Amino acid sequence: MAHQQQAMDTALFERRLRPVYDNLEVGNNRKALQESEKLLRNTPNLLCARALKGLSLLRLGRYEESHSCLQSVAEEKPVDDSTLQVLSFCYREMEQLDKIVELYQHAVKLNPGNEELLAHLFVSHVRVEDYKAQQAVALQLYKAQPKNAYYFWSVISVVFQGIRGPESCIPEKRNLYLALAQRMVDKHIKEGKLETEQEAFLYLHILKLQNKYQDAWEFLTGELCAKLYPGAPVSMKFELLKKLGNWLELNKLLQELLDADRDRWDYYKEYLQSCFELLKQQPAEQQEPAYSLKACHDFLLQIIKSSTRKTRGPYLARLELHQRMRAHQLPAEELVGDFDELVIEYFHLFGDKSCCTHDIALFLPSISMEQRQSLASKLLAESGISSSSLPQNKEHMQKHICALQISRMCGAHIELSTDHMIAFYTALKLHYEHGHSTFGKELLSTEMGPSDPYALLAANVMYDVSKRESKSDYLFEALCLLQYVLRNSTSNFHVKLLSLKIYHMFGCMVGAQEMYDYLDIKQIQLDSMGYVHCNLLPLSGRFSGVRNCYDTTLKFFTNSYKERLEYISLTYRFCTFSKMEEFMNFKERLTNSLMYVACSVEAQLCDIVCFYGSIQQNLSAYVAMSIEPADDRISWNELSDNRDLQAIIRWDPLHVDDTEAERKESFEQEIEVLQIRSLLLRLFASFIDLYHAPQGAKVAMSNDKTRTPTPGDDIATVELLRTSWTGLFQRLRLMNYKPLSQNFLVNLLPTRLHLLLKLPYESFFDDLAQLVLDLYSGASQLALQCKKVSENVVSVMELCVQTITESNEWNGMDGLWKRREHQQKVAASLEILSLYAFLLSVLNDKLQCSAKTKAKKKTSGDNKTQEPISEKERSQMLQELMRQLKHKLEACDAAIRIWKPPTLPRELSSFMADMSLKPEVEATLIGDVSATFKESHELMITELRNLLKDKIRMVGK
Amino acid sequence: MTTLRPFTCDDLFKYNNVNFDPLTETYGLSFYTQYLAKWPEYFQLAESPSGHIMGYIMGKVEGHMDNWHGHVTALTVSPDYRRLGLAGLLMNFLEDISEKKRAYFVDLFVRKSNKVAINMYTNLGYIIYRTILEYYSGDQDEDAYDMRKALSRDVYKKSVIPYTQPMTMRELRHQMRHEAKCE
Repeated sequence: MAHQQQAMDTALFERRLRPVYDNLEVGNNRKALQESEKLLRNTPNLLCARALKGLSLLRLGRYEESHSCLQSVAEEKPVDDSTLQVLSFCYREMEQLDKIVELYQHAVKLNPGNEELLAHLFVSHVRVEDYKAQQAVALQLYKAQPKNAYYFWSVISVVFQGIRGPESCIPEKRNLYLALAQRMVDKHIKEGKLETEQEAFLYLHILKLQNKYQDAWEFLTGELCAKLYPGAPVSMKFELLKKLGNWLELNKLLQELLDADRDRWDYYKEYLQSCFELLKQQPAEQQEPAYSLKACHDFLLQIIKSSTRKTRGPYLARLELHQRMRAHQLPAEELVGDFDELVIEYFHLFGDKSCCTHDIALFLPSISMEQRQSLASKLLAESGISSSSLPQNKEHMQKHICALQISRMCGAHIELSTDHMIAFYTALKLHYEHGHSTFGKELLSTEMGPSDPYALLAANVMYDVSKRESKSDYLFEALCLLQYVLRNSTSNFHVKLLSLKIYHMFGCMVGAQEMYDYLDIKQIQLDSMGYVHCNLLPLSGRFSGVRNCYDTTLKFFTNSYKERLEYISLTYRFCTFSKMEEFMNFKERLTNSLMYVACSVEAQLCDIVCFYGSIQQNLSAYVAMSIEPADDRISWNELSDNRDLQAIIRWDPLHVDDTEAERKESFEQEIEVLQIRSLLLRLFASFIDLYHAPQGAKVAMSNDKTRTPTPGDDIATVELLRTSWTGLFQRLRLMNYKPLSQNFLVNLLPTRLHLLLKLPYESFFDDLAQLVLDLYSGASQLALQCKKVSENVVSVMELCVQTITESNEWNGMDGLWKRREHQQKVAASLEILSLYAFLLSVLNDKLQCSAKTKAKKKTSGDNKTQEPISEKERSQMLQELMRQLKHKLEACDAAIRIWKPPTLPRELSSFMADMSLKPEVEATLIGDVSATFKESHELMITELRNLLKDKIRMVGK
Repeated sequence: MTTLRPFTCDDLFKYNNVNFDPLTETYGLSFYTQYLAKWPEYFQLAESPSGHIMGYIMGKVEGHMDNWHGHVTALTVSPDYRRLGLAGLLMNFLEDISEKKRAYFVDLFVRKSNKVAINMYTNLGYIIYRTILEYYSGDQDEDAYDMRKALSRDVYKKSVIPYTQPMTMRELRHQMRHEAKCE
């Protein structure tokens, strides 16, 4: 009856539901709830209104109510679209994707053959990647409505069962599925029903997956494919010809293509490969070789000669030919000519393009160190600029820049003496200024200055000097130079990235944040570029001040996490078979981003450290985090490295710079850091949960309906995590990771791994675990454990105080060199003490509560030893710990109060003297940079003192 | 010296060198994924021999009847790879695909102040078809040129007879809605 009524009044109800939808849309969830309740008073059976009530409750964080509300709607097996939409939206929000499947399965059962419902059911299977079920539903859809799309949905579902599904690892099964998929398409082709290019693509893909390259080739070059898929990429032809070993055909095809398109690297690469393969194929006994590389060389020469406009293509191809011949021990010089001369010719022709450096760099690894250096000198000489001459025009200058960049890559700079390096720096600085004043005026605000690369190079050189001398002055000077460049060339992101790096090295958070904001990093860049800033914030010296950056980053991730499955359904909607796997892999990469996981853990730790409210407020904030200590939610083996390390430009010596090794090493260490941090969070949470067992929210949110944990479970969790904690440190010490190399400015800063191993994290939280357990059971050694923990507190306090003393002392020598390290140590001490303070406040609250209510004694069942220590005594011991902590926090505060801002290099005023800077420009420039350092220090001090004030209050009551 | 290949999701992690450029917008993921899912062949990337992303073009094909056309949504080249004719290469590619899809013309919007780009498009054979008033919103709203180039299917070059009057955003939206209805 209810169904009938609904059908009649659809329009009416829709109108009545509108206010609920509208309120939800603008985020007015409370009002939405009221509206839905109002509606339900008149029409209590209106399912959609009940579903919307469930959604409002969900949005309001009233999970349990929402849960039961939605459950009751789902049990009525709704079939109307709006109710189903609302329910599946809720389940998507709660990540209960299997419930959506059930929902639509019921609906389809009641409405067999309903196209719309079936399509929804299909997509619900897509979300959980159940390919088998996908296939079945797609066929039902095709039966209900014979559209090509549905037919191919079932085809691709069969393909995925073969290559991605649970049976894909069994070769026979895989072949079976792929053969079936092919038969399905074959049948369709026979019936003349193939319609779109994506369908043609899918067919080719299926053939290739089965290694049926000949069939694929015939289809690709056939009439049907030409008609349906005129835009088929020519690279598909290359791929197939290579698989078929038809090098001659490939060679011919590429010659034709290159004749028409003379600057395509992908074509040249394939072309050269085909030439070498043809050479290999010749039977040895034949007298006259059928193919020689001379043909290849002639072809390239002919392209060079016949081109009116000079393109890089054939020249680079010639260098590549040279390189490959040498690799095969063939007489390259004889055929192609002298390598150096070829490079010099290239430099002559294209040295005025900024990409010339990248191009030449491609071929440097194939020659010896000596040859590299001599080539570099030749190029410098070719550029025609000596110590006494200046570039005549922009192009001339670019050539000089290119030669300098190459010579750095060849290792010329790092061999200079310090004096030479400083002189070189001065020359670069002058070249920058000359280039800027001569060729860099009247730039658009969106353009980079043509002489900016001099300054970038100068900054790298100054880092080399700083590193060698272990002194910050040089690098600080480079920072000022970069800031000067940034004034002239506001859009040069290389300058911003390098400045950001230097600010971080010097622990200047304000400067770093300024550069980061200036880069306007957003959306997916928050993931790929997070390593330059967000990842460096934990333990940088700021706590609440960096929360914002975590938030922005996390917001991107949570949004895309919610959307991630919808991207995949989009590819089904548009039948874009060529992109489906790519989208699925992309989803995995985003979800498992190390940046994402690390940032969420750091944000949670940061929040706990920063708690400042009443104990009830803090506890409810803690509960809302829904940390489940017993449950390690990180898929450690799937974590993905999404960093774009190439975004920062560098010309470091190729023989020492190994970006890929650096990537691997740093990624491994970052994972270990995450191990420590996430375990710290879970271990700490297990302490809290032992005394403040979580109820409600967490349980309702989790999908599995396990029983409520008992205190025994909680004790076991603490013990288990504690064992993992000490085990982890033991393993990490054995692993003996080396700190990341800091050879060059662009190298990644050291990870926090060594810091965390060196500081007393391990013992502090290990002993704390014992204390928490003893306090819980009233064990006799409690007093002893209290003593141990308070000794730990003393040493952490001393670490903080000593670090500050040391930092003040360093100010007399070099205020910046050790700055970052000092800030990290102080931050770590305060982090440890802040966590401890919150724990004590929770313990104290619990003990006082239970003392008041005279709660029933905890019968742990071991009365074989003596009676546990009474609650009153425990409470007293706890009070003592709090008193002691308060003292030590005050000692930290006293030290921080006298922490001096870093002294900056004194001879600043002279450093730009050689440049034609107006004195007022110079003064404001240096003034600005100095002010940034001062401000950064003051902000940090204020923030740390506020943090301490909150903690003192927390334990002072 | 370029490799042209389809833009993939993974490139989103690596395109910073190009996207840090102030004239290149970094969009939300759904924007890219929509284009990738709907018009995969219209999203192409140029890669240097060293594997750097040199630039990319993002576009679509849409419209009804003789308004069926290719559209350039974004075209960008990294500062390191300018003055090499790369933009022309990418535009060529898009025009080629549009030819294969039997489109009548290709169009694009460009800031009226972006002289460099307008010049380049003119050299590639595009004409200023009309002016859209205040198309770009921001601190200061800016007009756009709607530029067009006819493809071979438009034998009589009907698609490139320019408007004499500028168009307001309202009129443009109205026209687009109308076209959407026809589809």
